[in-house]
Amino acid sequence: MSWLTTILILLPIGGALLVAIAPLSSYGLGSLAALVSLIEVAVWITAVGKFDFGNPSLQLSQQVSWFADLHVSYYVGVYAFSLWIVGMTVVVMAACVIYGWWVGRDRGRAYFALMLMLTGAIVGVFTAQDLILFYAFFEAMLIPLYILIGVWGGPGRLRATQLFVIYTVVGSLLMLAAIIVYGLQEGTFNLTEMGPSSSTWLFLGFVVAFAIKSPLFPLHGWLPETYRESPPEVSAVLSGVVSKAGLYGLLRIVIPKFPGPVHDWRIVLLVLASISLVYGALLAFRAPDFRGVVMYSSLSQAGLIVLGLFAGNDLGFDGAVLQIVNHGLISASLFLIAGMVERRCSTGELRLLGGMARGRPALATVVMAVGVIALAVPLSTAFAGEFLILAGVFQQGWWWGVIGAAAMVLAAMYMLRAISGVLHQDVGPAVPDSALDLRLGELAVVVPLLVCLLGLSAWPNLISGHAFGGNHAQSVIAKGLP
Amino acid sequence: MKAAAWICLLLPLASTLAITLGGTALSRRTAGWISTLTTFGAFVAAAVAFFQMLGESASERTHVTTSWTWLSAGQYHFGFSLLVDQLSVMMMLIVAGVGGLIIAYSLGYMDGEDEERRYFAYMSLFVFSMLLLVEGANLLLLLAGWGMVGLSSYLLIGFYQERHSAIAAAKKAFIMNAFGDATFALALFLLVEHTGSLDYSSVFAAAPHGGTVANLIALGLLGGAVAKSAQIPLHTWLPDAMEGPTPVSALIHAATMVTAGVYLIVRCHPLFENAYFIQDTAAALGALTLLMAGLIALVQVDIKRVIAYSTMSQIGYMFVAAGIGTYANAMFHLMTHAFFKALLFLAAGIVIHAVAGEQDIRKLAGVGKLMPRTKAFFVVGSLALVAIFPFSGFFSKDPILAAALQRGWFGITLYVIGMTGAFLTGLYAFRLFFIVFTGEPSSFVREHHHAHHGQEGPVSMMATVGVLAVLATIAGFLQWAPLWTPLTKWLDPVAPPLVEATSAQEWATSGVGITIGLAGIGLAWLLYSAKRIRVPRALPVLEHKFYWDEAYDVLWYRSSDLVSRGLYAFVERPLIGGSLVAVGRGFSLAGRDVGRLQTGLVRSYALALAGGLAVLVVIFLAVR
Repeated sequence: MSWLTTILILLPIGGALLVAIAPLSSYGLGSLAALVSLIEVAVWITAVGKFDFGNPSLQLSQQVSWFADLHVSYYVGVYAFSLWIVGMTVVVMAACVIYGWWVGRDRGRAYFALMLMLTGAIVGVFTAQDLILFYAFFEAMLIPLYILIGVWGGPGRLRATQLFVIYTVVGSLLMLAAIIVYGLQEGTFNLTEMGPSSSTWLFLGFVVAFAIKSPLFPLHGWLPETYRESPPEVSAVLSGVVSKAGLYGLLRIVIPKFPGPVHDWRIVLLVLASISLVYGALLAFRAPDFRGVVMYSSLSQAGLIVLGLFAGNDLGFDGAVLQIVNHGLISASLFLIAGMVERRCSTGELRLLGGMARGRPALATVVMAVGVIALAVPLSTAFAGEFLILAGVFQQGWWWGVIGAAAMVLAAMYMLRAISGVLHQDVGPAVPDSALDLRLGELAVVVPLLVCLLGLSAWPNLISGHAFGGNHAQSVIAKGLP
Repeated sequence: MKAAAWICLLLPLASTLAITLGGTALSRRTAGWISTLTTFGAFVAAAVAFFQMLGESASERTHVTTSWTWLSAGQYHFGFSLLVDQLSVMMMLIVAGVGGLIIAYSLGYMDGEDEERRYFAYMSLFVFSMLLLVEGANLLLLLAGWGMVGLSSYLLIGFYQERHSAIAAAKKAFIMNAFGDATFALALFLLVEHTGSLDYSSVFAAAPHGGTVANLIALGLLGGAVAKSAQIPLHTWLPDAMEGPTPVSALIHAATMVTAGVYLIVRCHPLFENAYFIQDTAAALGALTLLMAGLIALVQVDIKRVIAYSTMSQIGYMFVAAGIGTYANAMFHLMTHAFFKALLFLAAGIVIHAVAGEQDIRKLAGVGKLMPRTKAFFVVGSLALVAIFPFSGFFSKDPILAAALQRGWFGITLYVIGMTGAFLTGLYAFRLFFIVFTGEPSSFVREHHHAHHGQEGPVSMMATVGVLAVLATIAGFLQWAPLWTPLTKWLDPVAPPLVEATSAQEWATSGVGITIGLAGIGLAWLLYSAKRIRVPRALPVLEHKFYWDEAYDVLWYRSSDLVSRGLYAFVERPLIGGSLVAVGRGFSLAGRDVGRLQTGLVRSYALALAGGLAVLVVIFLAVR
């Protein structure tokens, strides 16, 4: 019994309420929100200190009965792998909140309250151990997003919001129905107690819901408009953190609880994941704008992570957790960078950009460093994750490894194109001479993310070797994550 | 030993970090000195390791230190481990030594260049990466260094970042090397699956002998090697890489990085010996490359590209050596080549520096008259390259071909190709020399040549080139097969040779080699100096470099662009993006204006939730 997990969830939600009522200026509200998000990071570090990484079972847990007759309870806690994903979440959210503060989003009260609310909900998704609670957080995470996109988004935000709502409603419905039926069959919604199910239909309900979120080909229809129209820091949250809810769902619910259907459908999922991987990379290669490259690379990376998850061995699982964290940090950094570039040039179109490296050493260094980590240059943490995943899925069949290796080359192609499109060659028509180098506030947002990535590059084993306590992911998951 | 290895590795990394973080707080000059001194510091550390090793008996010279587990999953553990043995200490000395000289040369060459600091940060990053490559004690770290040298090479080729050609060349180099990295990684996946480890010792002990798996492993590694070392079929990036500053070409694209493929084969020789066919393929590819590059070099008009093709050609000899299994000779040639090729590039750099960056040899004609010292340096480098006694190439190149004679018809074919290549080397090397350095200065040279304070170049440049000229002259005497062979003995515990030439074969090959080299030089003299023979027109196939670039353009770049466009036009837009437009319209029917849209959304949302949920629950319950 520990309050830490609950504090992790409630601190930002409490912060959101405080922001909603505090009699402060917009700037003051922003500072308050930034402060709360930084305290959240500190709480997470405390949680890491209290966590026993040798122990594969649920820790820092807290259970309070909620609807006793339905066997629904408020039950939260973390496994090692969820602790890392939560850590990535709070770090990325802090960066995004601070970025919003620095940019000075209008209607600050609503904006910062929603961002903090979102933080709490996402942490809730990653820590809930009761399916109804999980669902509640899952929905609670989506509602702030609808508003953040719909109100603070770009000119096409309404259509983007519509698409996002339609897709997520479909996904949520399928998941809710599957949760209700699964819970009724098991007689409990407690994830740690629910036994394995062999129902293909329930399995598919969950898989479709999570595949929309991740996203996985061909369920990524919401992605282009949403990522392009959202404010950059919201895109960063969406692709860095929210999409991980889908991958986490696969890891926490689908794979441990549906061993039979996972076995039967493994090939289908691996095929879809491979298609996402290659398809996303190919589309990223022709995307006209920087954000386009990043969002299709996110599709590609989601495919890679699903490959790892469905490789079904230690290499795949450890690699997938590492890559979830990596991609969260990378994708958030890239979207924030996109925002910084767009602020200077009022466009992200690569043919209108270029030549920004000259005279802007900080921007050039940051773009180049994040960019080469994103393309998984060997020795980077992204390479470590990719290596484990592909080595794992290689053992399912060499062809998956070959597809993954081909995607490595494609990743180099699209990422170098994007880097050069912004930094190199002739100065683009949209780049004003007055465009400044990164300001201190922007560096304060993106440099910590970069430092996390570099630190992980020196020691990716911090995550890959400490994701499933005792270090045998496959056996822990085969037991259904008790 | 452990401390020396770590200092050697980390000093250049510290330099990169210091220069990057220091930014404008450091003067340009300081950045250059930091980079130079740390690299020489790394050299001193490598030398300390070497002398400590000299004091040990041959069987105790392998030192592995694991500092932390870099990556692990389940029962697989990949440590951040360094390996110092006879082979890696030799590479450390070459990399840090030649690297230090070239970075010192850059102090003069890059002086006044915009963004000098960035240049020195990249150079230090390269030295770190290359040292990681040679010091890594497992194949994962080897791959990590492998990718990092690719990255530094990309950064340095594209150093002049507003030049289109430079950025295009940088991307091309990176992507071709990414191919190599991908096949390399596939080989590693196979090794992980079949041996459960990537540490050299356990991999070599457990790797499968013969059979498909062994062949595929060697093939994957060979893919990485040919990409990094610019051998057929992944060679086309190297000539373009000459877009980088000249010291970069000297350090990365001549002396060190491009020879990493040779190091890989020598280091992993047990894996190649388990797959004879692939090892022979390596030799065959090397032979083809040395011939092709020699032919193309004959018609190039850019001084750096001629030297670049000669690099490809010389690495071809090293691949032949590694492929037939005379590993010490491969490493010996790697070393002497590092000296004389760096010398040639840096001497060319002095010329380029003195004539406002011009590289076209037709315009540079006759510059030697104004630059007598550089001319002398260049002639030393060229003679070493053509393998004329007593210059270093003579001692290292001919033993490779002599050893080939031990391999039957295959070896004789390699021998003939190698000798043909030697003739071409004499011809193209002295074509370059005679055109650029002899005769009367061209009008272009008279107009643009400017002396540097009355000297041919700054002290840092002339002095380092002088050191390299001395090395290129005397380094060969380290080993003179069959009279004395200390290097072969030194490397024997790490990579024992598969074939050894007899004394008669060595002497005969030396005689033939020198004659053929002189014949090439003689022909070059007749063609380009005495002009007794008219120079024939260049064949189109040579001018187009055997059409490799054109083929790759169609096969990879255009086709992936086409596929990408096709997917967008026929899948993404109509099927993925469009499928929901209709549904979206249904939603927006509810509201032509924003206010009504929002209420419409909420109502539809609630309705869909309730209705859809009921239907789904019924379905799920009904089917199970």
